[in-house]
Amino acid sequence: MNLLIVDSMTWTITVLGWFIVFVALVFLIGVFLTVPKILTWGTRRALRKKNRMAKKEVVIDDELVITGETNAAIAMALHLYFNEQHDEESNVITIKEVKKRYSPWSSKVYSFNNVNFPR
Amino acid sequence: MKRFITLFGVLSLLFSLQFVGGGFEAFAAGTEAGDTFIDHASKGLETFWNFTGFANAHYTNFIMIAVGLFFIFLAIKYDYEPLLLVPIGTGVILGNIPFLTGYQIGLYEDGSVLNYLYFGVKQGVYPPLIFLGIGAMTDFSSLISNPKLMILGAAAQVGIFATFLGASAMGFTPQEAGAIGIIGGADGPTAIFLSSKLAPTLMGAIAIAAYSYMALVPVIQPPIMRLIIPKRERLIKMKPPRAVSKTEKIMFPIIGLLLTTFISPSALPLLGMLFFGNLLKESGVTERLADTARNAMINIVTILLGITVGASTQADYFLTTDSLKIFGLGAVSFMVATAGGLIFARLMNLFLKGDNKINPLIGAAGVSAVPDSARVVQHEGLKNDPNNHLLMHAMAPNVSGVIGSAVAAGILLSFLM
Repeated sequence: MNLLIVDSMTWTITVLGWFIVFVALVFLIGVFLTVPKILTWGTRRALRKKNRMAKKEVVIDDELVITGETNAAIAMALHLYFNEQHDEESNVITIKEVKKRYSPWSSKVYSFNNVNFPR
Repeated sequence: MKRFITLFGVLSLLFSLQFVGGGFEAFAAGTEAGDTFIDHASKGLETFWNFTGFANAHYTNFIMIAVGLFFIFLAIKYDYEPLLLVPIGTGVILGNIPFLTGYQIGLYEDGSVLNYLYFGVKQGVYPPLIFLGIGAMTDFSSLISNPKLMILGAAAQVGIFATFLGASAMGFTPQEAGAIGIIGGADGPTAIFLSSKLAPTLMGAIAIAAYSYMALVPVIQPPIMRLIIPKRERLIKMKPPRAVSKTEKIMFPIIGLLLTTFISPSALPLLGMLFFGNLLKESGVTERLADTARNAMINIVTILLGITVGASTQADYFLTTDSLKIFGLGAVSFMVATAGGLIFARLMNLFLKGDNKINPLIGAAGVSAVPDSARVVQHEGLKNDPNNHLLMHAMAPNVSGVIGSAVAAGILLSFLM
């Protein structure tokens, strides 16, 4: 297999094709590195508008981002809360009367011979 | 019960009498022409024999049936991509049962049931539907949290273009070489989509090669990983990915769709469906549609795709030297793609500092066999350090590999159509 026998068009497609794939994904990387910054900027602006912070106070980016650990802790707390809700019972103990359905299988009536004595 | 048996007994007797009458008539006609009853019976049996698979069998049919059985064996015994290999294996058996041509039975015969089902493959209908399901089940958050890992998905596409070059050097036409090259993307639906457009005659071999190598990811990739990545680099621990907001998750498919399809419009059916599926999942308001796309629909399409791709490997179309070459090129392509991702990951580490360094093993996940190659990376990572979990990190190059291979397919289509 001699790669030199391949025509120039094939080489062009190979090099250019791979290059375009790279460019497309690098472009996406650029966009997705920028998007969080824009979102953070938006959040800051919204916070300022709501006067939740002093105008001169500096907000560190980390404060606006909830980390995975924090999310996990919140999720765990919620999970425990909703699971334990089940344990809050009314504390009223009711003894249910056991109702048995009639069953003739051991009835005395059927275990005696109903013999008519002559009068 | 007695009445029932009597009634149906009488009815069946009446029906059989009708046939006996017909038989006598045929017999009478036969004797008129000078044939005996035995002549007729032997002629009938001969016709029946000519219709059977035994009369039409060729040794190549048995080879392909053995291949189909081997696929089923691999799927059941070793759990290699059973959802794909069982339908494909059964399809291979189905497609290689010998039959008398001209009765609308085979996949390549117009009007046959299999031919109708094959329409979805031939016209590239099934792959976008599979992509819709993949989009609806994929969580892109690992990619969004660390977008620079996306570059590994591009690096691994070297396999596609290197194979394109190799296939051209081996004498395939540019269109065929492009279709063969896509095997390096390790993406079955993309391979089928591209080969249906560029080289329909080679589609069976290309699809089988792509799916076989996808199933063999756990066998092919680990030795290459150990060869290229030194032990100390395999131990690198990556910092956990940041949490991704819902807004980012919703914006990802929309921006991704717009950017990638503007760059490579030929890949519109694949990328459009992929990002649409993801939007269904992430929007949070179309749960029913997302659920159908990622469960019922993708399962139905996988069954149809698997069985028809398998059946397309009829021995007389499939057992050629071209198929052997395709299998060889596919293997090389897969290895080159894996190596490309790994080497690029090592290269990236030269420019990254401190805890931003990446574990180069995740470069192997740049091939788009989702999620198998990410799982292999996780497995290899754990082998070296039982506390080093790389799965989430590996998913980023893995899903970007899906995008990358679809973009590459679009580029090849636009160059070669």
